[in-house]
Formats: sequence, structure tokens, C-alpha cells
Amino acid sequence: MHDAHSGQDWRAWFAEHGARLRLIARQWARSEADADDVLQEAFVRFWKHQRHLPGNPNALVVTSIRRSALDLLRRSDRRAVREKIVGDDMETVTWFEPEADPRLAALADSLKLLPAEQREVVVLKVWGELTFDEIGEQLSISPNTAASRWRYAMEALRKHITARTHD
Amino acid sequence: MTDPDHDIEQALASLRPRAPGPAVTARLAAELDSSSPRRGVIIAWSAGLSALAAALVAAFVFLGGVAEPEAPTYRLVQVEQTRPDVQFFRPVQMEDGSFARPMRVRWQDTTRWEDARSNTRLINYRPNDQLTLLPLETN
Repeated sequence: MHDAHSGQDWRAWFAEHGARLRLIARQWARSEADADDVLQEAFVRFWKHQRHLPGNPNALVVTSIRRSALDLLRRSDRRAVREKIVGDDMETVTWFEPEADPRLAALADSLKLLPAEQREVVVLKVWGELTFDEIGEQLSISPNTAASRWRYAMEALRKHITARTHD
Repeated sequence: MTDPDHDIEQALASLRPRAPGPAVTARLAAELDSSSPRRGVIIAWSAGLSALAAALVAAFVFLGGVAEPEAPTYRLVQVEQTRPDVQFFRPVQMEDGSFARPMRVRWQDTTRWEDARSNTRLINYRPNDQLTLLPLETN
């Protein structure tokens, strides 16, 4: 079989893109540890089965991350029933490196406050580097819906950071 | 027309997501090391076999020419393999319930011999068409 990326150094590729891919995993995961597991599983799955495919590998890796995240959520749901796990550290752990600029810090905090359906569109567009068409495919929604969620998210973020920076 | 969301988008893009921890990187490196790549060898194998077959035919023809001086003495002058044309199709469901994506690979092998004395040429042209199924993981 023809390997479209036979010369690709995948470790170097992961080193370059790992941070933004981890953020994508993080916004679909319940904890930092889960995000790490999702990212590892997704990248290995991509590397084993899809790295030979032609085209930009980014969208394939993002798809793999989403699958792994959904897998883990389903497994966690079953485990939660047994163990009554209520842990969700969404509110306590930062997703980004600390920012000196208060406006950026407010923006980083505000992202987590968005409704999940808006937040995933924002993360997929900015850090997933996907178009609205590709986001629509990922989330099984129309590109117009993806664009609409993006606009609502931008509006909400603008309000959040305006309110925060005026506090 | 200016995009009113552009400044927010730019500010978002300037945020720096936390990098994966060293444990993730180490586990990933171990996974990549432990999995030996097995794909991508079909074409290499077929190319190798084609070249070997061409060499054997050439040797046979050449040796035959030594034994029979009257017969043409063909000399291998060219072995060519075109760049493979790869097509992917919609995933299909297998009998065991798993999914696979059919992939079609087409290429041509051309082997050419010449007999300088009689100025004759022997050309073996062989189109190849392989259909392979790539296993897909589904959730």
C-alpha cells in the first residue's frame, strides 16, 4: 500500500501539535488524566491505522480524538454507576499556560464557561484548525449550525471578558 | 468588510494550551516503538518481484542466446513502474460486523528488452489492479 506520509517523523509532528491536540481532548474529557489517556489512545489509533492515508492528517487525528473521548465517556459512565464517581475538575484546572495579560486570562477562563456545544466549535475551529464544513462533519451538524454556534460563542466571550475586565 | 469576531479569534489563538505531560510523550514513544509498521510493503514487494522476474527472463533469454547463436540476443534495457494511483471508497461493513475502507491501487509495470543485432524489441506491459481493505475502528 502506498504510504502518503512515508517520510513523516510522527514524533516530531506530535511534538509540534501535541498541545493543541491535548486541548481538543481536554474539552471533551472530564479530567486532566482522562485528556492524556484520550490523546494517547487517539494518536496511537491514528498512527496504526490511518497515518498512511493521503491528505492533511490533522482532521483524521481530531476525529480519532473525538472517538476516543466518546469511548472513554461511555466507559466512565458505566464506571460511575458502580463507583458513584462525581469528579469533574472542569472548574479547577487551567487548560492554558498562565497569561500575564488580564484580558487573555479572562478569555481563557471564559472559554470554559461557554455551553459545551459552543465551546467545542470554538476549540475545533481555533485549535483544531478545521473549517465549518469539517466541524459540521465532526459533530454531525450542518456547517451553518457550526457557524451559528461560533457567532454565539464569540458574542458570549466578548461579554464575559468585557464584564471581567471591568470588575 | 471587517470581521467583528476577528479580534476575539486572534486573542484565542494567542492562548497557549498546556502541553501533554512527559508521561504521555513517553507512553506514546513506547507505543510507536512497539508497533512495527507492516503496511506500505505490498507495492515494494511487487516491485521487487517484478524486477526479479524481469532479471530471470533476461538471464534466460541471454543464456539461450549464447546456446543458440542464431537466435536474437535480448538485453534488458528498461524496467519501469508507474506511480501507483490510489483510490479510497466508502467504508463497507464486513460479515463479522466490523468496518473496512476499500482501497484500490493501480499501476503499470513495463519491462523492455532489445536485440541490437536484429534491432528487435521485446516489451512486457502489465497493468496491475489491487483491491485492499483497510480495517477501520468504529465505536
